[in-house]
Amino acid sequence: MANQTESQELQPRQKQELQPEGTRPGVVFRPDIDILERADGFSIYADLPGVDESNVSVRLEKGVLTLDAQLSALPDPSWSPLHAEYRFGAYHREFRISEDIDSDRVSAKMRNGVLELQLPKTAHKTPRTIAVQAG
Amino acid sequence: MAQYSLYRPGAAAGFGSLFEDLRRDMDALLGRYGSDPSGANGWRGVFPAVNLYEADDAFVLTAELPGVGPDDIQVQLEGSTVTLQGERKIEYPPKGSASLHRRERQAGAFRRAFELPAEIDADKVEAVHRHGVLMLRLPKTPRYQPRRISVRGS
Repeated sequence: MANQTESQELQPRQKQELQPEGTRPGVVFRPDIDILERADGFSIYADLPGVDESNVSVRLEKGVLTLDAQLSALPDPSWSPLHAEYRFGAYHREFRISEDIDSDRVSAKMRNGVLELQLPKTAHKTPRTIAVQAG
Repeated sequence: MAQYSLYRPGAAAGFGSLFEDLRRDMDALLGRYGSDPSGANGWRGVFPAVNLYEADDAFVLTAELPGVGPDDIQVQLEGSTVTLQGERKIEYPPKGSASLHRRERQAGAFRRAFELPAEIDADKVEAVHRHGVLMLRLPKTPRYQPRRISVRGS
């Protein structure tokens, strides 16, 4: 029965708010992510509901990947709120990537409010044999 | 699964008491989640998180559904009760071909129901799913819509 589709009840966490950092105005959330590593690269998925592709920035600098996103729309101010379970704000997250990434081949795409990043490893990681010489 | 009433005809009027009811429901639900042996520590929300607004002529319900395609969401309206259900699917590669360093996103089925405080004109309901947010516009039937009464001098 290993292939049975998972259909357990969803129990996600509430949006995680980041500690205010002073320089960043407004509420900032820490998006939920998945990180997968294959032999040739990493895939990162981040939940960014309400964000379109033009409002996401991904930077890779000195082994640190920084993800920033802004909402593309806010609720109409003329509506009166009756019930609120989620709040609005930006998203921010940083990761240290321990392996060398081929930054020219990094790709990103947004689908249904999920960012998918492909980070290929640089090709020179082939194992080498080091000859040991007698002293 | 959880069914929330945002309005109960028998309850004392006013949204204050409606929210009391809602909170009690939430607490009951969270109690259940708290005893979940899979190890939920701290607050866990329900999925999807929903906001509800009232405009003059309609209610607007928004739900954060990242990663759920329009085909995986069903919206049903029965009287003034709106139900969202569906499934969030996440496909992971087969074991051995990749290692999962972090897994915070969760997959599974969801179902939530809301009772709205007025009759809804079912034929005019609109549902839009954009950037992982579902927005339902639920117009009130004409008798629940505000009407301007002109006041004349005698």
